[in-house]
Amino acid sequence: MSQLISAENFAKVAQFGDLFKEGLVITLLLSLLTVLFGFILAMVLAVMRLSNVCPFRFLGLTRDGHLREQGFLVALSRFNPVSFLATAYVEVFRATPMIVQLWIVYYGLFDKSVIDLPRVTIFGFIQLERFLPGVVALAMNSGAYLCEILRSGIQSIDGGQTEAARSLGLNQRQNMRFIVLPQAIKNTLPAIANEFVTIIKESSITYTVGVKDIMSAVNATKGSLYIVMEPLIVATVMYFCLTFPTSKIIAYFERRMSRGDKR
Amino acid sequence: METRDSLIQVTDLKKYYNKGTIKALDGITVDINRGDVMVVIGPSGSGKSTFLRSLNLLEEPTGGSIIFDGVDITKKKTMGPDGKMVKVDIDKHRQKMGMVFQHFNLFPHMTIMDNMTLAPIQVKHMDKAAAEEKALALLDRVGLKDRAGAYPIQLSGGQKQRIAIVRALMMEPEVMLFDEPTSALDPEMVGEVLEVMKELAQEGMTMVVVTHEMGFAREVGNRVLFMADGQLLEQGTPEEIFGRPQNPRLQDFLSKVL
Ligand SMILES: Nc1ncnc2c1ncn2[C@@H]1O[C@H](COP(=O)(O)OP(=O)(O)O)[C@@H](O)[C@H]1O
Ligand SMILES: [Mg+2]
Repeated sequence: MSQLISAENFAKVAQFGDLFKEGLVITLLLSLLTVLFGFILAMVLAVMRLSNVCPFRFLGLTRDGHLREQGFLVALSRFNPVSFLATAYVEVFRATPMIVQLWIVYYGLFDKSVIDLPRVTIFGFIQLERFLPGVVALAMNSGAYLCEILRSGIQSIDGGQTEAARSLGLNQRQNMRFIVLPQAIKNTLPAIANEFVTIIKESSITYTVGVKDIMSAVNATKGSLYIVMEPLIVATVMYFCLTFPTSKIIAYFERRMSRGDKR
Repeated sequence: METRDSLIQVTDLKKYYNKGTIKALDGITVDINRGDVMVVIGPSGSGKSTFLRSLNLLEEPTGGSIIFDGVDITKKKTMGPDGKMVKVDIDKHRQKMGMVFQHFNLFPHMTIMDNMTLAPIQVKHMDKAAAEEKALALLDRVGLKDRAGAYPIQLSGGQKQRIAIVRALMMEPEVMLFDEPTSALDPEMVGEVLEVMKELAQEGMTMVVVTHEMGFAREVGNRVLFMADGQLLEQGTPEEIFGRPQNPRLQDFLSKVL
């Protein structure tokens, strides 16, 4: 009986070195794109959730144009379909497993009959028709989580900031862009960094739809060599090398951005 | 009521909270004339802040009207010059009303210079160099020219409030609203802020000032309003209000603060 972990086996895994290298690049690209699109989605969702679009507002006004005080019409006048949509999205994506979302996106949304992606291979090893659904699913999922992070960050900004901005004549958009969002993003950087690290780890699930990431290299090695611990250890080291520096880099930017907080 | 050079006419202004159970403003009628330094006094919770914040619609009134530069800003629409109904652009009106808050509300993530030039550049599309030149001139006036590159946290309370005042002045407002501008300050810093406000008053700026500084009210104010329970109980010149108070509530209030 062979030992659980042996140097000999590591040597065998080395034959699959290229698979692991490509897997590393794919995991990295997957996470970067997810972070980018997830963050954009989250900003849109957060602004939607905190928006003030009330199409039935006029129902809450009395004949002479002042606010009604109570009743069904007041509730209806406060209904915000934009915020409702964003809230529903966030709740659904946070209440269902990642793998279900990934499979629905891959087998449902990117089915040939719905969105037919060309069979393109980028850099010789990234299969677009598997990679892109992976990015989309991960970004849709992390967008929901990042939205909640951003939203709590936005709400934690002192209301006096908005009042000062509006009293200077800035409109709601400018207030968001110049005053609220920069402070909210800064305050939530640690939480956002955590989410980025989570994405790198969660992206490993995309091997189930055939994305050739690090985890997929483990799977391939296991399948042909019947060894599992050694490739897993290689994968562990690789994931750690991705996540650890990421949190350090973000911590550095956090320190730089907090200049305004220090004496 | 004096209507000569009237800038803001407030009529029967009401603001209710909690479905009308809290009447923060219960029918305020007052005219603010150009050049007025109107000081608003009254016990805590009497609606002074709500009144001031309603003037630039940081609070949406429950009833009444505020006519500013001839436009009722509490309405969503108004009659345009050509007789058509046009939307009331509240952002435009807010530019013409500077506001100074008890807690300064400087933007902590920006330098003093950026705090001051943001609105002129973004809202008035002022040229950056011109805005900075203007900011430096104003900073010089309040003795803080050398702090242009500092962040708000690096300043004392009195310095922050002086910055907040000149930040509002950058927009060249027609009226300045002050909500207890010295209440959050250490006593030794109150004077430097009041001094800036006094100079502003002497230059003819229209000001509405909520304050507990009775010395300032007496010396700088030309009209004093006394509010209690959301109502305007008495108004007059400082001599009238402090020398011959009529309303028992005012007499009681003055006996406590003077
Ligand atoms: N957002 C609010 N919701 C409910 N009540 C409020 C709100 N803002 C102010 N009030 C109430 O309105 C009254 C007047 O408040 P305020 O204008 O702040 O008084 P002052 O500035 O004179 O101390 C107080 O009774 C206060 O509790
Ligand atoms: Mg107050």
